[in-house]
Amino acid sequence: MLRHLFTLMWNRKRANGLLILEVFMAFVVLFAVGSTGVYLWRNYQAPLGFAYENVWQINLNSGSQPRAEQVATLQRVLAKLRTTPGVEVVSRTEDTTPFSYNGNSGNITTGTGDTQRRTEEADFYSGGPELREVMGVRLVAGRWFDRRDETPTRRPPVVITEATQAELFPDGQSALGKVIHYGFHENQERVVVGISGPYRAGGELSEPRSALFGYISPQDTTTALNTLLVRVQPGTGAALAKRLSDDIRLTSGGRWSSDITTLREQRLSKLKVLLTLPAVLGVVCVFLLVNVALGLFGVLWLNINQRRAELGVRRAMGATGAAISGQVLGEILTLTTFGLVLGLLVAAQFPLLGVFNIKAGVYLTAMLLATLGLYALAAGCAFYPSRLAAGIQPAVALREE
Amino acid sequence: MTDDFNALFMQSTSTTSPVIRLANIEKVYQTRTIETVALSQVNLTINRGEFVSVMGPSGCGKSTLLSLMGLLDEPSSGTIEIDGRPVTSYSDKELAGLRNHKIGFVFQSYHLINDLSVLDNVEMPLLYRPSIGSSERRRRAIEALDKVGLTARTKHFPAQLSGGQRQRVAIARALAGEPEIILADEPTGNLDSVMGEEIMELLLGLNREQGTTLVMVTHDEQQALKTQRLIRFFDGRQVA
Ligand SMILES: Nc1ncnc2c1ncn2[C@@H]1O[C@H](COP(=O)(O)OP(=O)(O)OP(=O)(O)O)[C@@H](O)[C@H]1O
Ligand SMILES: [Mg+2]
Repeated sequence: MLRHLFTLMWNRKRANGLLILEVFMAFVVLFAVGSTGVYLWRNYQAPLGFAYENVWQINLNSGSQPRAEQVATLQRVLAKLRTTPGVEVVSRTEDTTPFSYNGNSGNITTGTGDTQRRTEEADFYSGGPELREVMGVRLVAGRWFDRRDETPTRRPPVVITEATQAELFPDGQSALGKVIHYGFHENQERVVVGISGPYRAGGELSEPRSALFGYISPQDTTTALNTLLVRVQPGTGAALAKRLSDDIRLTSGGRWSSDITTLREQRLSKLKVLLTLPAVLGVVCVFLLVNVALGLFGVLWLNINQRRAELGVRRAMGATGAAISGQVLGEILTLTTFGLVLGLLVAAQFPLLGVFNIKAGVYLTAMLLATLGLYALAAGCAFYPSRLAAGIQPAVALREE
Repeated sequence: MTDDFNALFMQSTSTTSPVIRLANIEKVYQTRTIETVALSQVNLTINRGEFVSVMGPSGCGKSTLLSLMGLLDEPSSGTIEIDGRPVTSYSDKELAGLRNHKIGFVFQSYHLINDLSVLDNVEMPLLYRPSIGSSERRRRAIEALDKVGLTARTKHFPAQLSGGQRQRVAIARALAGEPEIILADEPTGNLDSVMGEEIMELLLGLNREQGTTLVMVTHDEQQALKTQRLIRFFDGRQVA
């Protein structure tokens, strides 16, 4: 019976070509949606590595104040904020705060020459001794920055994430005490003092990757003058925000202004922006799929109607209704398989060529999902036409020509 | 499934028992504008092993009669019995089994499947018998094609054949299943007299040697005379 099916379909290859094309297109759409979906879902499942509730970001605007005076003002502002009731911890940081659109990234290396190891693109953050507490970063080994780091040294301290450690030292050695290099100051040696859990300031939808924290000393006069992250007590709100903003202005002699947002707001606004494109694409794809499904259904339906005579003859020769609908379903699933194989050949290029630098697993999962989706789509579209075919009576053979 | 059907077919082996019985058959074709009475008050019994020919002018209902006997269509009223059992008591699946195992049908206008080769067309009734493997199917199809003298055309498609050749493929298809009953609607209508004669001999041989029951529509008096019984129709009624 299977050979009979193949023969019949081969003899009708011209008409079936259209169907195969249709199926192929459906697969491409499903694969595109699937890849995006799987990619975002996988990212979403990975831990963020910090707690954003009750954390506020304060952007300071020092106005026209000369840079030389800014550090002193900043120290006064910090001291004031740290004693304000409702404020738990305050940390200086650079503008690569959670859910912001700013980023700083590059490769991290260790060792030299033949034994040098380097990570893939990694994120660089920086923060003071309080950053860990503000963000609730998990410490896995070693220590976070503290007073010991205030003494200037030839090799500033750095805290790297577990993922970075695993990438730089795949043999399972501890990175503690090891010297690494990263970023612009590639010649600057840094010594690893702590290993932390993950930290994905890019948010839930960003791709998990290696990261590290550089040290901002309380005496630092060159960087991190404009951005503060503050952990406040739960339940505090607009009143505290107003008070902090007033404090900043007063403490700076009226020269500084500030802009306070909660990380929760920032997260939501970033999610909105990041999800807009996939959502639009998703809607477009749903439309495309509905179109393809209708097309498939139409072609199948037409196909059955054009073949009433043939199916009637088969019934007259003793085929049962079930055999006829089985034949029709078999034909459709075989065609689907042909379109699918074409689609898989194309889709397989994505993981093979490493398109968009996305892990092969994402593409493979998407291929599996698209395959299942396609068969479901085909079976769904074929259901009614196959029932229609099963209902054709042998008498039809007498009438159709 | 096969066992069921074997049980069904083995029940009557006596040579004089009725194999098809039509009682008070009426067949009315209803179209949107007109109603055509194709058959009326038909009472007819075909006995096992009989060779019956049906004659009558064009449009008198011969093809309609054959399609009812072949279980391809249902009468408007009256009963059809196969092996003494009313057709209405058979399930859809059993009817399919009867069409497949018991009856071989030669359509007046052949009704071959254009997308299948001659060989695949002839194999078709056997395709619906799960007990028959592909090589056996092929063997039987070639044997049937051999009987109608078409072994040289197995790979052709119906469109590449002459009318007479198509008619012979249709006959081979009915023979391939080795049915107990062959219902043939003008099987020699498109054949030259020599070829017509050969097909007639083939059918007579089947009747004689295998005891196949045959009902044949024909316009040829000479052929009709060679059969055991001649039934004449006129305007939907049996007249002789
Ligand atoms: N499907 C149908 N719908 C409507 N009328 C039909 C249909 N099939 C047959 N008829 C009518 O029934 C009558 C009998 O037709 P049938 O085909 O049985 O004649 P026939 O004796 O086989 O004729 P011929 O010798 O020309 O083949 C005719 O008047 C025909 O027009
Ligand atoms: Mg006729």
